[in-house]
Amino acid sequence: MNDNILKANDIVAGYGDNTIIDGINLKIPAHKISVILGSNGSGKSTMLKTFCRLLTPHSGSIALNDKSLQEMKNKDIAKSIGLLPQNSIAPEGITVAELVTRGRFPYRKFMCSLTTEDYAAVKEAMEAMKICDLADRSIDELSGGQRQRVFIALALAQQTDILFLDEPTTFLDIAYQIEILDLLKELNRKKKTTIVMVLHDINLSSKYADYIFAMKNGMLIKEGIPSDIITSQTIEEIYGLKSVVITDPVSCSPMIIPISSHDDLTNVS
Amino acid sequence: MIDNSKIFANIKSHRIKYKIILTIMAIILLILVCLNMTIGEKNYSLMEVIHTLLSSENNYIIMKLRLPRTLAGIFCGIAFAIAGNTFQTLLGNPLASPDIIGVSSGSTVAAVFCILFLNLNRGLVSFVAVLAGAVSALLIYKLASKDGYSTNRLILTGIGAQAFFSALINWMIKKASEYDVPTAMRWMSGNLNGITTDTLPLLIVIVLLALITMTYLSNSLQALELGENYATVLGVNVDVTRSLLILISVVLIAFATAISGPISSIAFLSGPIAGRLCSKNQINTIPAALTGAILVLAGDFIGQNLLPTRYPVGIITGILGAPYLVYLLIKQNKGGSI
Ligand SMILES: Nc1ncnc2c1ncn2[C@@H]1O[C@H](COP(=O)(O)OP(=O)(O)O)[C@@H](O)[C@H]1O
Ligand SMILES: [Mg+2]
Repeated sequence: MNDNILKANDIVAGYGDNTIIDGINLKIPAHKISVILGSNGSGKSTMLKTFCRLLTPHSGSIALNDKSLQEMKNKDIAKSIGLLPQNSIAPEGITVAELVTRGRFPYRKFMCSLTTEDYAAVKEAMEAMKICDLADRSIDELSGGQRQRVFIALALAQQTDILFLDEPTTFLDIAYQIEILDLLKELNRKKKTTIVMVLHDINLSSKYADYIFAMKNGMLIKEGIPSDIITSQTIEEIYGLKSVVITDPVSCSPMIIPISSHDDLTNVS
Repeated sequence: MIDNSKIFANIKSHRIKYKIILTIMAIILLILVCLNMTIGEKNYSLMEVIHTLLSSENNYIIMKLRLPRTLAGIFCGIAFAIAGNTFQTLLGNPLASPDIIGVSSGSTVAAVFCILFLNLNRGLVSFVAVLAGAVSALLIYKLASKDGYSTNRLILTGIGAQAFFSALINWMIKKASEYDVPTAMRWMSGNLNGITTDTLPLLIVIVLLALITMTYLSNSLQALELGENYATVLGVNVDVTRSLLILISVVLIAFATAISGPISSIAFLSGPIAGRLCSKNQINTIPAALTGAILVLAGDFIGQNLLPTRYPVGIITGILGAPYLVYLLIKQNKGGSI
């Protein structure tokens, strides 16, 4: 297993003249689960889009193993970096198996039909996301949680070492959130896939992340392991929210209790 | 462990179904070619036709009327069909066909102007029509993306442009028709009358080249169908591929339009029909092409032989397209978007 090291070097990026990401340097820890935290509009999605070439940086570069992505072939990049975008749409009426199969594009050759490896990869992706029994269902008729697993399987069929996910659990109920995050953790542990995701739930981030990046106003303000980042001071810095941090009795990871302006704080030590 | 064959059973059976359907379509097309070559004002037997073709005997009706007419029908049908199917796939909406969103009529405006007013030859007309089609496509796109692009906005803008171009075409026809009504009529809805052999080789070469390129790009088109973002992540060079696909489509429309006029609904209908018949996992270039050729030849046969008076092919195919357009508008209206 080679270490695919992905780095952002002095990234400045945005939309038109509007600069959103203002000079970010970071290195994605290989084979780990990283979570990007930050308030709405802080530039998390913009950062992921820049990593995945959906947005060309105004300056700076993204480098894979010290080679700028701009110097690499599209298909080679596509074999290393996968993405679950914040909003995924599928062509009308397409079935689950057909959709996941499209993840094989970077490996397909002109005029050749799907190879044994293609089928094996698609099957493995569908097994990992536990959607084999949905193979012939149309995407339009799936529940939110099922859809999300299908789109993750599409990214998995691409067989990349690095996988970005933009809010993979938003709009899902708590049980589905845990299910998806567990599947991702399993993928990380089994296949050593480097996972970088944007999550909004601080406690779930703390539970699943090996490493956390904290963003604010298009800048990286802190990074580190959960126990270093999930402190009431840093949470206030990121979100402007007062909180108390306790230890999750089950996973022993730090856990925050937000403080509302109506709370009576006399009992808090 | 789940059996491979179970997950992919449908994909594999679709592939077999796809081949069967292609074969059936090819047979239907062949039958239509035979019908169009043999039946008409004067009927010939199939043997007579084949004999004439092989010996290139000087039979005016077969060699100078029916052969060019049939070839033009096939290749114009293919050209409109793959252009339409490509637009619909790229933009992810059956309404986004070039004949609905003004790209075809942009070409037609130029073609009509060059033919009726400037009397240019067909090669030059096609060239100007390509330019005009590309310019209209670009203009419609720019107009639609002024305050942020959306496909819905593109379709609405395109329908507006379509209305404007149609008015322009009607006005030019009105001006010119005092001298030349039959020629003028061609530009209303497409017609295969009076096609001469010399205009055909270029069209055939262009259609064949386009088919080859489209087949080459069909995997990329499949990735693009998932949207620009997914296509990029999957390794498609989105800008280059998309521009190339649109350019090829515009070239096809322009060349076909310069020969037969804008045959109604072929671009709009062929892709969706092919999509219904085949699986979604295939890019429908080839079945759409066959569907287009079948629709044109069938429409022309009906228009020439089965009705009390003769109708141009575009009138017949137009009748097919209208209900589908209404159906789509109603269906998509229910979903809250066009
Ligand atoms: N496609 C876009 N065009 C213009 N501005 C955008 C676009 N997407 C996001 N923005 C702006 O960029 C900023 C950061 O957005 P985003 O990266 O999506 O934040 P986050 O994902 O952290 O919520 C926001 O102010 C948003 O309005
Ligand atoms: Mg976001």
